[in-house]
Amino acid sequence: MTHDEHTPYLENIPAYAIGALDADEFAALESHLQTCASCRAELAEYRVLNQSLLTAVPPRQPSAALRKRLQSRLPSVQKTARPQWNWNWSFSRMAVGASLILLLVMNMYSILQTRALQQEQAQLNRQVRTGQTVMSMLSYPATERLSINSDKAVGSLLLDKERDIVALIVWNMPELPENETYQIWLIDPQGERVSAGIFSPESDQAYTTKVVYPKQRLVDFTGVGVTVEPAGGSEQPTGERLFKVDF
Amino acid sequence: MTNTDEGKLIAQVAQGNEAAFLAIYDRYASRVHGLTLHILGEDMLAEEATQDTFLKVWSRARDYLAERGPFLPWLLTIARRVALDRLRLEARRPLLSAANDPEDAWQFIPELESLSDESRWRSLYFAVQALHPDQRKVVELAYYQSMSQSEIAEVLGWPLGTVKTRLRSALEALRGVWNGT
Repeated sequence: MTHDEHTPYLENIPAYAIGALDADEFAALESHLQTCASCRAELAEYRVLNQSLLTAVPPRQPSAALRKRLQSRLPSVQKTARPQWNWNWSFSRMAVGASLILLLVMNMYSILQTRALQQEQAQLNRQVRTGQTVMSMLSYPATERLSINSDKAVGSLLLDKERDIVALIVWNMPELPENETYQIWLIDPQGERVSAGIFSPESDQAYTTKVVYPKQRLVDFTGVGVTVEPAGGSEQPTGERLFKVDF
Repeated sequence: MTNTDEGKLIAQVAQGNEAAFLAIYDRYASRVHGLTLHILGEDMLAEEATQDTFLKVWSRARDYLAERGPFLPWLLTIARRVALDRLRLEARRPLLSAANDPEDAWQFIPELESLSDESRWRSLYFAVQALHPDQRKVVELAYYQSMSQSEIAEVLGWPLGTVKTRLRSALEALRGVWNGT
């Protein structure tokens, strides 16, 4: 390219650098710049000037109100990334956590309450079954009825030797501490005692009913006794006797 | 404020730190407002453009890369575009060319050392003021009003060749001042 051919492009570079070139000349110079290194170097200098002119105006302080207005217009979504947002976020997490803990506690309370009701219902069922057994024994001709009459307890002992069932109905049994229990003993002719189970007095009524289904035949025994034993029972009587009834 | 401090502040702005954003605003608001006022010529419009500029900084701070150049020209390039777009809306001015987009302008930003020298900016400002009035007029219309040379010729009623000559002469003079300072 001759100098004369190069000159028009070179002359247009300052206007091009600041975006003042008209469209047709703009396209022509763009095409020329693809192949002309010296024009690209010239353009680089003017582009520096283009950026420099940005600051070649006197600074001017905006009104104080603009700062406040700008603050109020910061998008709320991005504001949430500030530390204050983190606090809110943590607070929300704490609230959710507290709610979960509350739900858990309420759930556990509900489970415990259900379990207590189930235990109460099971106890009532036992009492009903025991009552029905006692009633059926009383109505059975072969049932023997013996009196319980000691200085510590009164009541009745029902004995069905055909079906090997013993029922105790004892009035006003003293309450025992948690570390003690009543234990029933079957007494054989030699005076040996065989455990027939442990029980506690009914706390909600004046009498206590206990039905025993011994593993051995009742005909092999000659008496029944009840003693106070450590919680869980003993292999042989160790405590105070409540009563003893001989068949 | 050092450039490192400034870089940290902008990184914090990118993470949504309002205090860092306000620190940047306090440092540069007068520069941005000076430019928008120069372009728009009306304080209320200029404040709106200044506000829009900083809102763009708030949402686009993550686009700024310190290793590619100083922050101020990046900020003022946004301010110029915002102000010229506002000018176009107010006066039906044509859209800016893509070459004025701040992303495209990255590769042309001068070295940090030269930008940090405030006296060079002041020299350039005085050089613009020292231009012949006719030359200053075409620079003002071309750069701060984003007019093409043919538009300037039409507005001023001058021959297109005259506008081209005056603009070229003015920019050559300013380049000499910039390089000589």
